[in-house]
Amino acid sequence: MSKNEIERFFPNLRMSGYSVTSPETPEYNCIAWAAWDNETWWWPDAQHLYYWPPEIPRTETLEAFVKAFEIFGYTVCNNVTNEEGFEKIAIYIDSHGKPTHAARQLSSGNWTSKLGSLEDIEHKTLGVLTGFSYGIVGIIMKRPKKE
Amino acid sequence: MILGYPPNYYSNIEIVDTAVGGESEKMREEYARMIEHYFLPISTQFANPETRFLTLKTQWEADTAMLSSATEIAMHPAYQQIIGMGHTAIRFILVEMKKKPGHWFWALKSITGEDPVLPNQRGRVKEMTQAWLRWGREKKYL
Repeated sequence: MSKNEIERFFPNLRMSGYSVTSPETPEYNCIAWAAWDNETWWWPDAQHLYYWPPEIPRTETLEAFVKAFEIFGYTVCNNVTNEEGFEKIAIYIDSHGKPTHAARQLSSGNWTSKLGSLEDIEHKTLGVLTGFSYGIVGIIMKRPKKE
Repeated sequence: MILGYPPNYYSNIEIVDTAVGGESEKMREEYARMIEHYFLPISTQFANPETRFLTLKTQWEADTAMLSSATEIAMHPAYQQIIGMGHTAIRFILVEMKKKPGHWFWALKSITGEDPVLPNQRGRVKEMTQAWLRWGREKKYL
């Protein structure tokens, strides 16, 4: 998909500078990508069609998503600053508090996001993806970087 | 042809580039969408089941490509209308899946009441697609 199509969903990207870092694919989504998985579509859908960690409640709530990332050693934190020795993820929520998206911080301090079935992008701030598509950032989590 | 619709509707329409740049291209795309809605009335779109399916599919893809929520993707009105087409839609969906994997699993499960995807394949879109294509061949849809 062209950058123009991406920017149709995320108009804030137009001014901020970003790069497309993968081809588009429906094979994995942002939640998987935040968890370093590029082979699976994660979602706690009621039809049980997609992958969701079996020990985590299959509900579309921020609490369930936080629990899912806690499995991987993440804990809730209160800032987006790039901290040496830690990696961070951000979970976006809509106006009802339902998770919509997740982004993962890169060692540069930039963020990487898989945009639904579209491409991965690298973006400078979390704010550029806020708006009508993904809502707002609901929570930040961090874990010590693995050596 | 615009957005995959039959070319005859657009044979006399020419969209001429008058400027370059992102804004210009976006305006041109929006103009194309507007023309599509104007020249392709619902009655025409829905007269033929395949045209109807392709119309709804295009609309669904255009609106949900950036979504990760399987629920939001499936709750889109165009997708729900495809489910509403019932068994008529199955072959169209499977043909589409053969061309390009996509999130058709909710629709297929809803229409057929079946799910040939194994528990360890959940979320593996390629494997899920292959499971449904196998099912389609067994049931003679393909």
